Amino acid sequence: MSLGNGFQVADTADDVSHKCKNPPNYPAVGKTALAQIFRSDGAQFQKNYTLTTGVDLVVKTVPVPDTADSVELFILDSAGKELFSEMLDKLWESPSVLCLVYDVTNEQSFTNCSKWLEKARSQIPGITLCAGGNKTDLAGRRAVESAQARAWALSQGLECFETSVKEMINYEAPFHSLAKQFHHLYQEKLEVFQALV
Amino acid sequence: MKKVDLCLSSEGTEVILATSSDEKHPPENIIDGNPETFWTTTGMFPQEFIICFHKHVRIERLVIQSYFVQTLRIEKSTSKDPVDFEQWIERDLVHTEGQLQNEEIMARDGHATYLRFIIVSAFDHFASVYSVSAEGVTVSNFS
Repeated sequence: MSLGNGFQVADTADDVSHKCKNPPNYPAVGKTALAQIFRSDGAQFQKNYTLTTGVDLVVKTVPVPDTADSVELFILDSAGKELFSEMLDKLWESPSVLCLVYDVTNEQSFTNCSKWLEKARSQIPGITLCAGGNKTDLAGRRAVESAQARAWALSQGLECFETSVKEMINYEAPFHSLAKQFHHLYQEKLEVFQALV
Repeated sequence: MKKVDLCLSSEGTEVILATSSDEKHPPENIIDGNPETFWTTTGMFPQEFIICFHKHVRIERLVIQSYFVQTLRIEKSTSKDPVDFEQWIERDLVHTEGQLQNEEIMARDGHATYLRFIIVSAFDHFASVYSVSAEGVTVSNFS
């Protein structure tokens, strides 16, 4: 069986003031790189940064461990820059699961996760989420500690992961986690449907 | 002309397309005459299924049993092949917590060879359809 699924890779970088720290590549927390490396099974790391202007779609099937089932992820890689946020509102109507991506070298991108979380939960009740801190390869510039992120995620009831897309470390974890959670949700609903007859 | 339930696999009716298919809850469950079996969607909307009567019928009354369906659109065709569907009925259903949605529709101009049910939106990530029955008469058989 294959479950279809609207999956969203949301940014956390922009949205608020663009001052301080990281000058040019501010929205670049690595959402597109994460989606693309997952699509290509680690074969492609995008070396040149290009700004995502609307939304890119990546479709990939993920087997669910210990079952005969798989989840087909329709990954909507949405633009980070606020400039494009209006046209994203439509796409925000229906995702089933959401991955909040931040940059471990950019504290603002992490604190923005709370805002995005609130927005997601208010617009889509019952949405399944996780958080992913990217760019762990830039160890010397780390601004968000693992423990800090874990504590926040725990308080919000989220699973959280750290990844380095550049070094291909752990990049599949958020996708697999969300696929598993979505499959679990499906099983729960089947029980509801069954109980009605 | 005898009024019968036209949406029964035992009468030769078939589901010829469904956009979700969990083999444990296949679309055939919609027309098997058993209220305890159901078809379930497996994620994202819209979702749809097409029922083929293998004959020309005139439907007078439709009853759809479902759960978590929000907006339901029904199109019909009078062609021999599943083409040229035209908009027929659209309903916004009410969520009925803990019990099946039982939507009864008195049909006008119910000539059809195929029905296409589109679940445009739902109250949850998943929705289920337990049965569709269509009361009406057979107008003519395909030669």
